[in-house]
Amino acid sequence: VRLRLAIGALAFVGTGISAYLTAAHYAHTTPICTSGGCAIVQRSEWATLGPAPVALLGLLAFLAVLASAALGHRLVALGGYGVSVAAAIFAVYLVAVQTRELHAVCVWCVVSDAIWLLLAVLAATRVLRNNDLLWTRASSPRSSPSSSSAASRRPRRA
Amino acid sequence: MLTGLRVFPDAALVQVATTESVNPIRQFALVTALAAAAGGSLVGVSAATSHVAAPVRTAGGAAVQVRAAPSTLALLAGIPQHGTALGRKDAPVTLVEFADLQCPYCGLWARDTLPVLVRKYVRTGSLRVEFRGLDFLGSDSAKALGAAEAAGLSNRLWTVVELLYENQGTENTGWVTKPLLSRILDVAGLEPALVFQHVAGARVQARIDAARQESQTLGVPGTPFFTIGRTRGAQAPLQVQSLDPPEFETAIAQALRS
Repeated sequence: VRLRLAIGALAFVGTGISAYLTAAHYAHTTPICTSGGCAIVQRSEWATLGPAPVALLGLLAFLAVLASAALGHRLVALGGYGVSVAAAIFAVYLVAVQTRELHAVCVWCVVSDAIWLLLAVLAATRVLRNNDLLWTRASSPRSSPSSSSAASRRPRRA
Repeated sequence: MLTGLRVFPDAALVQVATTESVNPIRQFALVTALAAAAGGSLVGVSAATSHVAAPVRTAGGAAVQVRAAPSTLALLAGIPQHGTALGRKDAPVTLVEFADLQCPYCGLWARDTLPVLVRKYVRTGSLRVEFRGLDFLGSDSAKALGAAEAAGLSNRLWTVVELLYENQGTENTGWVTKPLLSRILDVAGLEPALVFQHVAGARVQARIDAARQESQTLGVPGTPFFTIGRTRGAQAPLQVQSLDPPEFETAIAQALRS
């Protein structure tokens, strides 16, 4: 429960940041910035992926993780973990772009990227700690009909 | 996990067959691998669509990279350039920009706001933008401006100016090198050696002197500085609180209505 709360809280903060950056993108305004590089980063070529702003993709991903934290279903949790890992990898790349290509840092983006790294770790911990979230087959036949188990060889009516 | 459906021959009996218990760690690794592949794909798409131009080796052997070459060329493609002007001669409104090619805020405006105005007003024939190059910040400004004005003789000033802003370095660090200028001129479709011949020429120097004189007459306090007005009418200083597009869009809309 604590892990779910932590994941939910981080995803909530990330959703807020992404929503703000998405709004700034479509409003053609510069985000409030303490690092001085937000405008450069937000309007660089790396700020969009095809027709979509990266901030919007981040918003959708944060919402997905938020939903995975709210719902207890194992597939949803695994999906949330998958989204977190994919986003964390992309976040590392975006930080590298800021420091190596743009020579400018957007503090909103860096916080968002850090949240993705934390979410990936927390989501992995959640999945690994809770066996129910993994696809274990404890209640299923443990062998095929051709095995030596009589129970498993007994056909069942459809 | 449902992995197979077996029909036994003796009756209409169906057994749902499942595989051995799935190793949780293997499943975790599978999801991780799929997620890593997805993340890697995002990186690949981003890198492919936002790439820095491939390094080009100049005659001197130095590798020079020009950032944002494809996007800059795409932005200006098909838009008429004439000397220091960008846009159609009969555009109803003209915006004049006084700028130093080393000025960071000029760079910010060129990278962030100008593309919006180009797509919305210049490309549609409503706006014409004129460049008044100043070189008060230092020697790199003078070198860059000379090349840009010389490119203007071949009606490529705006392409060169935009590429210089996209590749702008820190003031007076010697970032305006001959290999960089050569590469930018090359990207702009010009023959660098021919352009360099004109940098110290009378026509280029006359344009630079005229812009400096005009800025002094107007009392330009710093760059970027803008004036706006009807193309055939008088220009008035444009006071803006920020360099974001909305203020310029409002001013252009007012000028279009006047």
